[in-house]
Amino acid sequence: MSRQPEKSSEAELLQGTLDMLILKVTALQPIHGYAIAQRIQQISRDALQIRQGSLYPALYRLENRGWLKADWRTTEGGREAKFYSLTPQGRRQLAVETAGWRRLCDAISLVLETAE
Amino acid sequence: MDLLQGTLDMLVLRTLLFGPLHGYGIAKAIRSTSNEALDIEFGSLYPALKRLEMKGLIESNWEKSELNRRARYYRLTQSGREQLHAEHSKWAEFVNAIGLVMGKDPGKAEG
Amino acid sequence: MNWPNLKYIFPSRRRAEEREMLEELEALAAMAEPGELGNLTLAAENARQTWHFTTFDGTFADLRYALRTLRRQPGFVAVAVISLALGIGANSAIFSFADALLFRPLPIAHPGEVLNVSNSTPENASEGLSYPDYRDLRASNHSFEGLVAYRAPQMGVSLSSSAPPQMRMTMMVSDNFFNVLGITPALGRAFLDEEGKIPGRDPIAILGYDFWSTQCGADPSVVGRTLRLNGVDFQIVGVAPESFTGMEQLFRPALFVPLSMWGRLSPGSENPVEDRARHDLAVKGRLATGASLQSAQAEFDALGRNLERSWPRTNLNRRVAVRTEIKARIQQTPFRLIVVTMLMVLVGLVLIIACANVASLLLARARARGREVAIRLSIGAGRLRLVRQFMIESLVVALLAGVAALGVASAAMRFLSTLQVPNDIPIVLGLALDSRLLTFNLCAALVSCVLFGLAPALQSSRTELVPALKSGGLSGGARSRVIGRNILVVGQIALAMVLLIVSAMYVDGLRWIIGSNPGFRTDHLISMGLDPGARRYTPAQAHDFYRDLSARIHALPGVRSVALAEALPYSYAQTSVAVLPEGFQFPKGQTKATVMGGAIDENYLPALRIELLRGRPFGPADRAASPRVAIVNEEFAKVYWPNQNALGKHIRLNSPDGPPVEVVGIAKTCRYLFPSEAPRPYVYLPYEQNQRSRMALIAETFGDPTALAAPLREAVHAADPDVPVFDLMPVATYETRVISNWRVFLQMVTAVGMLGLILAMVGLYGLISYSVSRRTQEIGLRMAVGASREDVLRLVLRQGLILAFTGIAIGSALAALLAPVLTSGSIGQGTRYVATFAVPLALLAVSLAACYLPARRAARLDPIRALRHE
Repeated sequence: MSRQPEKSSEAELLQGTLDMLILKVTALQPIHGYAIAQRIQQISRDALQIRQGSLYPALYRLENRGWLKADWRTTEGGREAKFYSLTPQGRRQLAVETAGWRRLCDAISLVLETAE
Repeated sequence: MDLLQGTLDMLVLRTLLFGPLHGYGIAKAIRSTSNEALDIEFGSLYPALKRLEMKGLIESNWEKSELNRRARYYRLTQSGREQLHAEHSKWAEFVNAIGLVMGKDPGKAEG
Repeated sequence: MNWPNLKYIFPSRRRAEEREMLEELEALAAMAEPGELGNLTLAAENARQTWHFTTFDGTFADLRYALRTLRRQPGFVAVAVISLALGIGANSAIFSFADALLFRPLPIAHPGEVLNVSNSTPENASEGLSYPDYRDLRASNHSFEGLVAYRAPQMGVSLSSSAPPQMRMTMMVSDNFFNVLGITPALGRAFLDEEGKIPGRDPIAILGYDFWSTQCGADPSVVGRTLRLNGVDFQIVGVAPESFTGMEQLFRPALFVPLSMWGRLSPGSENPVEDRARHDLAVKGRLATGASLQSAQAEFDALGRNLERSWPRTNLNRRVAVRTEIKARIQQTPFRLIVVTMLMVLVGLVLIIACANVASLLLARARARGREVAIRLSIGAGRLRLVRQFMIESLVVALLAGVAALGVASAAMRFLSTLQVPNDIPIVLGLALDSRLLTFNLCAALVSCVLFGLAPALQSSRTELVPALKSGGLSGGARSRVIGRNILVVGQIALAMVLLIVSAMYVDGLRWIIGSNPGFRTDHLISMGLDPGARRYTPAQAHDFYRDLSARIHALPGVRSVALAEALPYSYAQTSVAVLPEGFQFPKGQTKATVMGGAIDENYLPALRIELLRGRPFGPADRAASPRVAIVNEEFAKVYWPNQNALGKHIRLNSPDGPPVEVVGIAKTCRYLFPSEAPRPYVYLPYEQNQRSRMALIAETFGDPTALAAPLREAVHAADPDVPVFDLMPVATYETRVISNWRVFLQMVTAVGMLGLILAMVGLYGLISYSVSRRTQEIGLRMAVGASREDVLRLVLRQGLILAFTGIAIGSALAALLAPVLTSGSIGQGTRYVATFAVPLALLAVSLAACYLPARRAARLDPIRALRHE
């Protein structure tokens, strides 16, 4: 019998949202995992903090589904790291996710703004 | 539809802002005010009600429904109202942050 | 933090919350479209988490739910648990009895590896082996890791040379007995290999644990001391462990001695270990690795043929059969299997009736729970899940009943423990709440759980949703439940009928036995068992001893006459004779028959008033040297010489070249072993021509025979203080004890029958009451349109009596089929079918009473209130 995931941390992102954010960031240029988290935190002015524990499973999942591809490159610091970039399917998925998020936001806004 | 617990709580609290409703009424209200876009599973909604009640954010009473049936009606408490405000602004911040990452027009959510 | 959480510490608060939640969900389900709300069970389950501290998986949730549901219905639980506890308890008690009598494995290491080896002849499927055969088989076989032999004679045992000997069960065992069977002595040592080699050299003994603790005060210093056995001093070298209670189910040996001592302990037969014609050893072997029953049988077939070729005189037509222990026991004591099977069938029927009761209650409950089921189905609970839920409730009931059943079982077992053999040897049934019984009890509970729970669970979960939710009215499912309950009640009455008829037949049988003449008198007689062989008397010396003793006793005041017999009727120790009656054609392969028979002196038949129908009695002329004679009973003459004059015919004893004896008299057939036995052939031989060491001496008295007990013992003491006296009691006591066993047995059968009746009547009463409460409105309506109270009474009674009649009719048919089987064999003799008329009438009367109570309640209904009844 399945149970609802019972994570109550308010900072935890909806799963779909995290995927969407990662796809968005990798769409710009190939980027390694740690930089993805940094980038999201930076752009959102520290409002979105991605924990390592959520980031790496998400990357693995996205790569596995063929939305991201990874290759080993040298970072600016001269170390070897896995760099992620978006595949064509990933690009399509980004569009799907973005549309879904917009619909969700609109729907919630409707509820929140309805005056009886 | 999978929502964050906090988001679902917020929707429930918001729905009760305008008066008491029973469990089924809450589900219907969320569905209709979102133009059918939010179809919350009752299986998630009902435990959320119990959780909110446990936290003292809502309270319930048995009353007669419009069809003259007995039903359990939930209403917002004062601390529920406060919680709704807090959740509301948290949500706005969240949507705004996502918007920043996603670039232009990430969803015209308020904030 | 979450202070409201704390109130849910109280179970009452949690229960209240649970109730409210179900009510709420029910209300919501009624508002929404079917299925709109999705899986409500899951929702409820998740909601419950908020007030339960720990999470369980689904089964635990079901269990919790089951306990909650049952706690709210104490009446149902009580009736169900009591019904089942009686049914399961009766089964467990009988299982324990059957286990003690037949099924319990040998109390040795790895009993499953041990097989039984015996001779099988055309006359007798299971006979002992001779010592020389055993020795040859042991030396030449490869199937067994070890082959042991033993015999279990009674011997006179005295712990000191001054104490008078007492007759005890003992065992003479082969040297390897303890090692092969894996028995480690609690004290001292086992026998050594060389202690089996030389006949008569090693007078050593190992005490049985029971004997050691009761007779020696569990004194460890007994090892090294001596005791006297049949007049020979033996040194005690060890004590057997407590776990080893012997090789026979009912008798516990007092001590063990090497088989090589056989000759010295049995005077008269100088060298029994060299006598290939003396087939009285039990032999068992522990299978070697790689060997199986089949391979062992194949090898022993060949070895048996070799023996037959080498020793045709003693081993003609003598196969060696290898059997499992349980098969061997059934072969040797088929009577026990009959008793056990019969009792198991009877208590099995009781359990079925009890299960039918609970099933019926569950079906009635199913209606009351229709709405609950409908809601749970509508909120998406699968049928399987509901069935599981109901089965878990049934399981809880069954397990509670299982625990209560242990109480019922131990009470019944105490009652069964009063069974005894007529003689003085104590039998130990060893009925105990051991692990085998507990396992059986648990299995019985689980089986009954399926029996009573499954059908109602499937039925209940089939509730039609809409009508049940809307009104709770009688849906199709409910109607078939009523039909289901009718079938159950009819079945119960039918089975109760069978049980009652069988027990009535036994009651009838007992009355017949008590009332009828056993064929010999039991009053004014006292007897005692004597064995001068225990003093190493030769048969000739024994003969002198008996002549001397008879004279002494005859001289006692109050003694009318003195007689000798090898075996008394009803005694446990019956003797038999192999006979070849002149002119009788045996079936192919068979050359002789073994019939009961024994040596008597000329005073025996008159003393016991056994009527001589024709011919002459034994007399002083029948001496050892004169022509050999015999007296047979009427049954013998009828079986072997039908329509001929048996007088003057000859019988050869033991073998075709055995001594011929002439039939000089025909005695009336009496009973020999059981009060209920079928007539059986019997041969009396004159003691003078067939001298035995071990005899029973019977004194016919003028007055109360018990007054002679002490004088008899003194007379023996005066003749020889070392000759053991046993079974000293009035002959009437044998009869009392035999009949008392029969009565224990009968009381059990009757109790089982009554149990079945009560359970079936609870079922009938429950159904009629339920039906009256269901039909309250209809009855009100009938009364409103003019039906009188008598009409109502008749209406309800008619419904009950139709069920009762149907049940009785089916039961009669079943009884006609089953009763002859259940009362077959010697236990059923004398039972008649008179009972078949009385039982249905009685059952009908009780059924009428069971229906009358609810019928009267119906007739007293106030029509106005009844009409408004929901």
